[in-house]
Amino acid sequence: MTVHAIEAIAITKKFGDLLALSDVNFSVIEGETFGFLGPNGAGKTTTIRILTGITMPTAGTATIFEKDIVKETIAARRQMGIVHETSNVYDDLSAWHNLMFAAELYNVPRSVRERRGKELLELFGLWERKDDRVRVFSKGMKRRLTLAMGLVNDPRLLFLDEPTSGLDVQSNLIIRDVIHDLTEQGVTVFLTTHNIEEANLICDRVAIINQGQIAAIDSPERLKKTIQSVQSVEVAFDPPSPDHLNRLRALPLVSEVRKEGDKFRLITEDPATVIEGVTAYAREHQVRIISMTTIGPSLEDVFIKLTGLVPRVKGVKVID
Amino acid sequence: MTDFSEGCGQLCRELKAAWAIAKKDIRIYYLKPNIIVSGMLFPLFMFLAFAIGRDAPPTLLVPGLIAITILFSASSIEPVSIPIERRTKTFDRLLSAPVSLHSVVLGESLSGFLYSACIALVPLTAGMIIFQTPLVQPAALIAGILLTAFCFATMGTLFAAYPTESPGDIMSMLNLVRLPLIFVSGVFIPVNALPPIGQVVVMLSPLTYGNDLIRAAFEGSTHFNPLVDLVAIGGFILLFQLAANHLYRKFNE
Repeated sequence: MTVHAIEAIAITKKFGDLLALSDVNFSVIEGETFGFLGPNGAGKTTTIRILTGITMPTAGTATIFEKDIVKETIAARRQMGIVHETSNVYDDLSAWHNLMFAAELYNVPRSVRERRGKELLELFGLWERKDDRVRVFSKGMKRRLTLAMGLVNDPRLLFLDEPTSGLDVQSNLIIRDVIHDLTEQGVTVFLTTHNIEEANLICDRVAIINQGQIAAIDSPERLKKTIQSVQSVEVAFDPPSPDHLNRLRALPLVSEVRKEGDKFRLITEDPATVIEGVTAYAREHQVRIISMTTIGPSLEDVFIKLTGLVPRVKGVKVID
Repeated sequence: MTDFSEGCGQLCRELKAAWAIAKKDIRIYYLKPNIIVSGMLFPLFMFLAFAIGRDAPPTLLVPGLIAITILFSASSIEPVSIPIERRTKTFDRLLSAPVSLHSVVLGESLSGFLYSACIALVPLTAGMIIFQTPLVQPAALIAGILLTAFCFATMGTLFAAYPTESPGDIMSMLNLVRLPLIFVSGVFIPVNALPPIGQVVVMLSPLTYGNDLIRAAFEGSTHFNPLVDLVAIGGFILLFQLAANHLYRKFNE
């Protein structure tokens, strides 16, 4: 029998006249890593606040392991750990006191919380700094501590709001490793992220929310298959020149060209014809092709298509 | 029986969480400069402004100083800590914990209560040493200090429900209430010396009943029946707790 870690049932949320969420339905199966993507203002944070019982829905409800978050809020919250978008740690407390406070809020017994606290601080590379006030921690260290605080009660379901946003490489790697280990242990992860590639790599399924409504829910690969028309050819020339951008746009069957670093990405429905065109172009303009790769549609392409966002100039896309 | 033990277990968890919140506040906020100024220095200067040059007996001045010290110190922690925690988003940690909003309000109030109960010992000791005012009813003093401290700590938590990230916003609103309370609570002018309309207005102030109990500790008698004082302060505590609970819920929607 399938156990649902989360079941959102017709959730609607209004703030005055503003409709923030409209009839949102989805479910997350136990053990699944579920990504929640959407541009700013799409309703991601409101959804998380409703699922964690901080905000009440205007209509509809959600269950967490079959406990109604509106009617059985406390019982539902006991199953979950929450890592908020901001690293909401107490700057004037030590890392250890932060962790112990989080454990006390979740009624973790003293002996368990002290053992668990040591394990978590070691796991996140903070044990040596356990008595330091968090005020002097780097952004990455605070983020790691926030994640440790979210795990101190051994949750069955972990809400991760932008876990790796703007972090240093070390913190990023530690956090991704921990998420990977958690999913192997059967912990359900509900993840919101700006990093679409991260969602693509980590998530079993993703939901894309736009303007308060779910635009799509599926596995990353199946979502990509829905927009096979957005295939592309990525090419780099020697010598590199920005002049290629406009000239490549003139090639047959190329619908769009983006400059991405020292490479050009040509969007097309027919990569084979475009490869021939690019080869001819290189011969004609006496430039050497350093590399050329065909790329299928990315999750980011799906996101852009479903949310109606447009790529900015110079290949930098507006995703959030 | 199972429901009963489950209920006791939940109550125990709630009280432990409330105590954890109070401990956290004690560790973080007790020595913040704005709390020291608001909780200790402000009532002292208020007292000096009213007491110097007046020919009032120590049995009126000392209880008055204790009462306004409790009023200001008890209601000084949460109006500072909660807006700061809203700004740093740490308040969301409390709102999303597996405890009821009542326990969050109680925990926040506990830290103000303990702070104020300790601070009240300063004017009490100073009053007894400097003015040599004898203590005739210690039980009334203990009840007066503890209940008044808890009442105004809960009032501070209630005001802090206003959804702002600036402590100054809440302090301004709070002072609109705290400052008039000093004049309509029999703190510096005994209730029976007030005009008839004043004697009606004082009944609306929780400080009146706390001050009455504290004065009884030094004078040996109360203006109201002591039971009335206890019930009135208890009623205000309940009212502030329920109102705070309602407002935190409302402002989070």
